[in-house]
Amino acid sequence: MDVSPMDVKQVMRDYFVDLGEAAKDPGRKVAWCTSVGPAEILRAMGFAVYFPENHGALLGATRVSTDTIPIANAHGYSPEICSYLTSDIGACLKGVTPLSKAYGLDSVPRPDVLVYCTNQCKDVMHWFSWYARRWNVPLLGIHPPNHLPEVLPEHVADVAAQYRRMIGRLEAITGTLLDLEALRLAVARSREATDLWEAVLNTARARPAPLSFFDGVIVMGPIVVLRGTQAATDYYRALLAELQGKVVARQAAVPGERLRIYWEGMPVWGRLRHLSDLFANNRATVVASTYCNSWIFSDFDAAQPLDSMARAYLKIFINRDDAYKEAYIERLAGEFGIDGVVYHAARTCPNNSNSYYNLPQRLAARGIPGIVVDGDLCDLRCFSDEQSTTLIEAFLETL
Amino acid sequence: MSTAADCDRPSTDATVRTEVFWGVDCGSAEIKVAALDREGRLLTTRRCRTLFPLVEHVHRSLAGQGDELSAIADGDRDRLPADGRQPGLRPGHKVFATGYGRHHIGFVQGQLTEIKAHYLGVQHQLRLQQDYTIIDIGGQDAKVIRATPSRVEQFAINRKCAAGTGAYIEELAHRLEVPMQELPRLAAAHDKDLTLNSYCTVFSGQEVIKLLMHGERVENLIHALYRSVVKRVLEMTAIDTDTLVFSGGVMSHHPILVPLFAERFDEVRTILAPNAQFCGALGAAIHGMNEESDDGLPNHQ
Ligand code: SF4
Repeated sequence: MDVSPMDVKQVMRDYFVDLGEAAKDPGRKVAWCTSVGPAEILRAMGFAVYFPENHGALLGATRVSTDTIPIANAHGYSPEICSYLTSDIGACLKGVTPLSKAYGLDSVPRPDVLVYCTNQCKDVMHWFSWYARRWNVPLLGIHPPNHLPEVLPEHVADVAAQYRRMIGRLEAITGTLLDLEALRLAVARSREATDLWEAVLNTARARPAPLSFFDGVIVMGPIVVLRGTQAATDYYRALLAELQGKVVARQAAVPGERLRIYWEGMPVWGRLRHLSDLFANNRATVVASTYCNSWIFSDFDAAQPLDSMARAYLKIFINRDDAYKEAYIERLAGEFGIDGVVYHAARTCPNNSNSYYNLPQRLAARGIPGIVVDGDLCDLRCFSDEQSTTLIEAFLETL
Repeated sequence: MSTAADCDRPSTDATVRTEVFWGVDCGSAEIKVAALDREGRLLTTRRCRTLFPLVEHVHRSLAGQGDELSAIADGDRDRLPADGRQPGLRPGHKVFATGYGRHHIGFVQGQLTEIKAHYLGVQHQLRLQQDYTIIDIGGQDAKVIRATPSRVEQFAINRKCAAGTGAYIEELAHRLEVPMQELPRLAAAHDKDLTLNSYCTVFSGQEVIKLLMHGERVENLIHALYRSVVKRVLEMTAIDTDTLVFSGGVMSHHPILVPLFAERFDEVRTILAPNAQFCGALGAAIHGMNEESDDGLPNHQ
């Protein structure tokens, strides 16, 4: 990884140090939020916002999850459900967090409120409910319409109404009213950051691509956890300039790039290095992915903060129907000059595994070949180095 | 098979032309070796159990014994060099590897995945002119490869669980307390089509025991076991070619599977590949020939 890793580390460090301080400061409130939940509202209301899915990814990447998933399993959380959930709940039960070693936090920051949105899946509801029961913390959920062919005005109105109801309950927690100008500012910042993030990802349209999916999942931290802040915007502006320089200099993420691949599905957090090396050794660059693209929200509009948030968070890929997903990947395959798609069938996240309903066959019929690799985001019991190597190498051989 | 006498001529010339192409298929259950002359004729095949250290057993298979054909230079033939150096190959010999262990043999000239290797091994021997599907059932996995006369088009591998592989047959034979080699004969004496439903080897074992307790004939259970292997493999991917080619150790030991596959299609031509167990090793050797050929012609088949 040679894409500004130090800078992203610093940005993430500042974020977590601030979270740690907020958790200790009686004058500040901490909200937990799902990764594509209404973070802008929380930021505008002054909450320090923590994202348990980011913690799940950290548990996976550090492979601490290998120890913590079985603990959650033994407490009745099945090995078949979200392994972010099981990694995280297991970590809480065991009293460990990689945030201690990485950022000096004693524990994950205790929440004053838990906010989830089921635009991605319902596991987040079960997950946050556990903490609500454990710590007796208010639990607020947004339940939008799911798997939409089209996002219609009535869908937007529904979600915006749920936001308003939620804001009322949040105001009771903070004791202050939401400042509409603060919300507009947060939405404007999110929009700016997400536009920059999109531009960052689009630099990989160049041949050779200056960044790969495996760089992307590292540098995406700020767009996940710092939406609505100036820090995210500043970081991505700098990163974009750096990558544009690399495009001009024809600096490749994978030297000798021969094949260009689309990664569909979640990362295998505990095997990023293995997979990154595997593609690189075969001179293949993973130039685009559903996962990194999932934090592009081009609908944010400060003039209509709640409606535009509702639209943006309804429109996400995971919340769309089959036809939308097929057309989306086909479009990106064209734009990025994709030779083939690797579909990660993540055992514990069917929501992000789009190979289950014959999508690979439909796209293959349109000239976009693919291979399905079984694995998981955090549960390495479901992933085989050997199998993935053979499948991916054999697939690259056929291209 | 006879050794190619002129291969034994030592040479000090690095540009000596390759006379023997060796393919090693390092599978999870067995190491298979095949040697071809430069015309693509099969010189020898060998196999042994996959034991560790892998490289030692691969070395032994390639070295052969006594006057068997050897890929390994005389000085290193008896054992791997003690100083950690890679063993020398005999002049005019080259070795190419496939299979799960392919990345772990330091002294090979190249490697390829077993998908491509099986395809090359089958196509080299059969020279098919139409599209076809290879069904390869091994000890630990099953592969379905859709091929054309010139390339692999698509493939699927099952390695998630034992269902549809040799390990499944082995486990249930053990449950039934029937020696493996007896299975085909007993299955042929079935008088009822039974179905085992479960994916899982443990659950299937329980189903078998329940049926036995209800007095079911062992012959019918073994036949059901074979039918269940067929079902598991056909679930992997849709097959749309008129020709099926079978390869792999399980097919050569249990040829009864061939008609059981055939009966699942309206009209299909079935071929059990010659040297079914060695298609991967053969393909690796063919790959070596292709790597070396600079005649600009399409790949050697
Ligand atoms: S979308 Fe998948 S990975 Fe994300 S929280 Fe839901 S189940 Fe877990």
